[in-house]
Amino acid sequence: MDFILQLVTDPVAFYQTHTLLIAEIGINSILASSMFVVLYSGQLSLAAPGFMAIGAYTSVLMGNYWNTPFALNLLVGILLAGVVGVVVGLPVLRLRGVFLAIATIGFIEALSLGVILNVPITGEGLGLKNPDADPLGGINIVLASLAVIVFLLWRLTQGRLGHAWDAIRQDELAALSQGIPVARYKMIAFVLSAMLAGYAGGLESHLNFFVDPTEYGVARTVQVLTFAVLGGSGNVLGPVVGALFLTTLPEIVRVPNFDYRDVIAGAILILVIIFRPQGIVGRGGLAIIRPRWWPKSRSSASAPG
Amino acid sequence: MLLRLDDLRRHFGGVHAVDGVSLEVEKGSIHGLIGPNGAGKTTLVNVVTGYVRTQGGTAWLENDKLTGRPPHRIAALGVARTFQNIRLFGDLTALENVMIGMHTRLHDDTLAQLATLPIFRRDERSVVNDAHKLMETVGLDPSEAGRRPAGQLPYGDQRRLEIARALALRPRLLILDEPAAGMNPSEKQGIRELIERLNADGLTILLIDHDMRLVMGVCQRVSVLNFGRKIADGVPQEVSTDTVVIDAYLGSGAEKEAARAPGTTELRDLERARPALRRAAEPEEAILDVQDVWVSYGAINAVRGVSLRVAEGEVVALIGANGAGKSTILNALSGLVPIASGTAIFDGLDLINAKPSSIVRRGLVQVPEGREILGRQTVLENLELATWTRRDRAAAAKEIEAMMGRFPILGQRRGLRANTLSGGERQLLAIARGLLAKPRLLLLDEPSLGLAPQMVDEVFAAIDEIHRGGTTILLVEQNALRALEIADRAYVLETGQIQLTGSGQDLLHNPAVRMAYLGG
Amino acid sequence: MGQQVLNAIFIGSIYALFAVGYTLVFGVLDILNLAHSAVFMLGAAITYSLVVNYHQSFAVACVLGIASCAVMGLVIEYICLRPLRRRRAPPIAALISTIGLALIIVAAVEQGRQGSIFSWLWVDGANSVSFPSGTVPNPTWHVGGLTLEATKVAIVPVTVALMLVLGYFIRFTQFGRGLRAVAENPRAASLMGLDVDRMITLTVVLSSALGGAAGILFGLAISDISPYIGRDNLEIRGLAVIVLGGMGSIPGAVAGGYLLGAIEVLALVVFGSNVRAGVAFAALFLMLVLRPQGLFGAQVHERL
Repeated sequence: MDFILQLVTDPVAFYQTHTLLIAEIGINSILASSMFVVLYSGQLSLAAPGFMAIGAYTSVLMGNYWNTPFALNLLVGILLAGVVGVVVGLPVLRLRGVFLAIATIGFIEALSLGVILNVPITGEGLGLKNPDADPLGGINIVLASLAVIVFLLWRLTQGRLGHAWDAIRQDELAALSQGIPVARYKMIAFVLSAMLAGYAGGLESHLNFFVDPTEYGVARTVQVLTFAVLGGSGNVLGPVVGALFLTTLPEIVRVPNFDYRDVIAGAILILVIIFRPQGIVGRGGLAIIRPRWWPKSRSSASAPG
Repeated sequence: MLLRLDDLRRHFGGVHAVDGVSLEVEKGSIHGLIGPNGAGKTTLVNVVTGYVRTQGGTAWLENDKLTGRPPHRIAALGVARTFQNIRLFGDLTALENVMIGMHTRLHDDTLAQLATLPIFRRDERSVVNDAHKLMETVGLDPSEAGRRPAGQLPYGDQRRLEIARALALRPRLLILDEPAAGMNPSEKQGIRELIERLNADGLTILLIDHDMRLVMGVCQRVSVLNFGRKIADGVPQEVSTDTVVIDAYLGSGAEKEAARAPGTTELRDLERARPALRRAAEPEEAILDVQDVWVSYGAINAVRGVSLRVAEGEVVALIGANGAGKSTILNALSGLVPIASGTAIFDGLDLINAKPSSIVRRGLVQVPEGREILGRQTVLENLELATWTRRDRAAAAKEIEAMMGRFPILGQRRGLRANTLSGGERQLLAIARGLLAKPRLLLLDEPSLGLAPQMVDEVFAAIDEIHRGGTTILLVEQNALRALEIADRAYVLETGQIQLTGSGQDLLHNPAVRMAYLGG
Repeated sequence: MGQQVLNAIFIGSIYALFAVGYTLVFGVLDILNLAHSAVFMLGAAITYSLVVNYHQSFAVACVLGIASCAVMGLVIEYICLRPLRRRRAPPIAALISTIGLALIIVAAVEQGRQGSIFSWLWVDGANSVSFPSGTVPNPTWHVGGLTLEATKVAIVPVTVALMLVLGYFIRFTQFGRGLRAVAENPRAASLMGLDVDRMITLTVVLSSALGGAAGILFGLAISDISPYIGRDNLEIRGLAVIVLGGMGSIPGAVAGGYLLGAIEVLALVVFGSNVRAGVAFAALFLMLVLRPQGLFGAQVHERL
């Protein structure tokens, strides 16, 4: 509780003592935004950690071997994540619902187990040392870019593309009948999400002296999914709120001899999805994915025939 | 010539859904496309609009080739459509649905969006205005209905909204796939007037529907499909009197319906051979007693204080427009939908708290609107499902045999998968299955829905026969004429409430009922 | 080489048994029960605890272990699945709620240490343990250059027997017929008087029991029991198997299990042991992209 107290009474000191936590919140929020983009366009893609890994390893490796400036490394990481996003997206975006989720899980596990842990340059299981890390300096970039990202995504949802994503999420075939190029727009969302995740990964690696290969697997994707479920994915702020809440919770409440974080995360997933599926921020129910060929739930005025 | 189809072909597995269809739609005309269930009408539309690849032949919209293009490109070229099963964006407001339709006409404002330039604001306002106008064109109030989530609008309004959304494309060709399905005659008249209005403004329309009066009354030319082939093409008078068409599609009853052009006051021959029991008052002894029942779907009160009674041996009909709550009542009685308040007793069993399986075991059996047969299992297996709860398997097997004797067509198809049956055969299967569950009261939900007129005759003959055999029936039907003809008593339902009740014959002759449900 | 083939058969059997439970629930409910891998782990963990901490015989421990998993099936149904069905939630919601339960189960075992609140369940924390030798008689034979351990060999007849019994059950019994009806159209089944909720509960319980059994076999034969065996080893492989075989198809799950076992062994031989896990996912990915319905699954089509 003194955590909250300090935040309220002495924000500056709070900021200084908890810089790393704030940075973590920021990075998780960017990740959550990446999740938002795909969920808003109706795609249950769980690929974020994979793209994070691409961003992280690329930027650190470039820094280590070529001594190029961080900004350039980060940019290359983002672009590479985008390119991989296109390559992965092309075959995978035809899949719907659960199949897409499974395919993206396949992607991150393949990347994790097949590449990261096996290619010597990545340091394999021991991870990668990052001597150029700047734990305290990076936080400003994180917070500033988070604000910009959230703003831009918000504007995006208010425009033609965002409305099209909204339509695609609810009914792809109807969206097609209105002239919306569904496949293209889904790819745009997927690649954008990949780049955001790559950015988050690159930033995260910059704040740590060590790139941890175990950070990019299914556990991470579940974590990011939880942000989106808790916060709600109908609104840009939803996943960010979820990230904020879940990242801070372990700081506020500590239970001795018991790392309860996963238990809480699990309980949150169950309770939220049953009792408030639209999440904290919410907007109109759990419309994230409802592909039409799943057994249909009753709608209020069903058409005959 | 606006739309030209040349020898289009499409098959699925062994079935030739579209088998070399050629037809032409004149610019500025209303062109009808009819045919029995499974004739290939919707597949043809799906081919033309790009959802399904053609396997031969071409389609042209004036000088633009349609075949080979994806659906969104075809929409952008000016072909708009509505869907047989409404496909609105349920969570968006009605107005937003229409605005989505303008997607192709707006510039890509992504960059402007990101900088929130004021130019964008102006664009949005004109979009909203256009959307308002479109809603008014189809008869919806933009300020009232416009704000509601599309999924919560009444059924008729949803159909209209889908048309408004299609119009937002400013199409050259509008394809309407059963736009009036499930509507009562006065609502259909409204749709018909809308179609005529749109056409008067110069819009070319391709109309697919089962309702003969609607199609023959509003179309200038009609094409008829059967088994994927075009079997007739001409003006309504020619087509409706063409013997080939009549054999394939129009049953004897419907022939008279089709011949009845608008404006005539010729009355149908209403008296049937079967003497009607003139019971007007509600029975004392009722096997089903429903009092003041309320049922809701989320925020919508679908059924508001409905009371009805059914006595043993009766045929009671529930008629009313789609969305009036008729099917909801049946589903509530079967325990599939929770009853918010009121009482419902069937043979001593409290239906409100009983589980669906207990209700069925008690003898209240429903043949649902969607048939709900098991497509991947054989006809025999479907019938066996009805006897699943029985202990005496041998007796059950005998009854199944007897049922197949009663419906010979099922016996013939016993080893075939149920999804190979035609619409009418599936309905008979669903009815047979319902009967095998030993109903004391049989609930029939829209038995004639989506069936070609000929099959409708057969199904009603079957219902009649069942009734003569002593089964009590509660029948929900959008085809009010047929329902009232065979009913002993009927209730008229509007927006969740009972408006009228009386004997079948009385209601048949009631002016208000005739106006609303029987077409005048 | 021959040894590897044998290993493929052994591990393939476990994959198949695990996947059958997965696919059973998917077939009936059209949802992916991601708590299945946690139940798999629980079967192994509980049985191990019973043998080592509570000094029960292996047979007793097995029975209790499987029973506990069956009970966990009840938990899955009543907590994760039924409330969502009542609220007409889309299938993705069940995916999420079962992920949540899996997190809780794994965390509970992971936190099982001396003095923690879960010590009654498990005391080895995050460590990997194995059944003490002698728990089950395990003679080893050497035949034609191949080493055959009894525990590993026994996997095959046990899993095959279980799958045959299940298959018979589904195809030929009254209950199985009802299950198939519910799988295809729960509304129709309900309208014919079947108690759909009860059938679903039984399906989930059965599936969880099978999952637990697979876990016990795994722990016994592979000598690896830890809180993570479900999540790290089987979960993704289970997904790969049902994708390969076709979701909702039991024969598909069986075929897919052995197919994956074979692919993994092949990759092992050709590429070396490091790529092993990645191969499974590559196979999954390829199948999803080329033929999403798998070998035996029904084609997934959207009807316009």
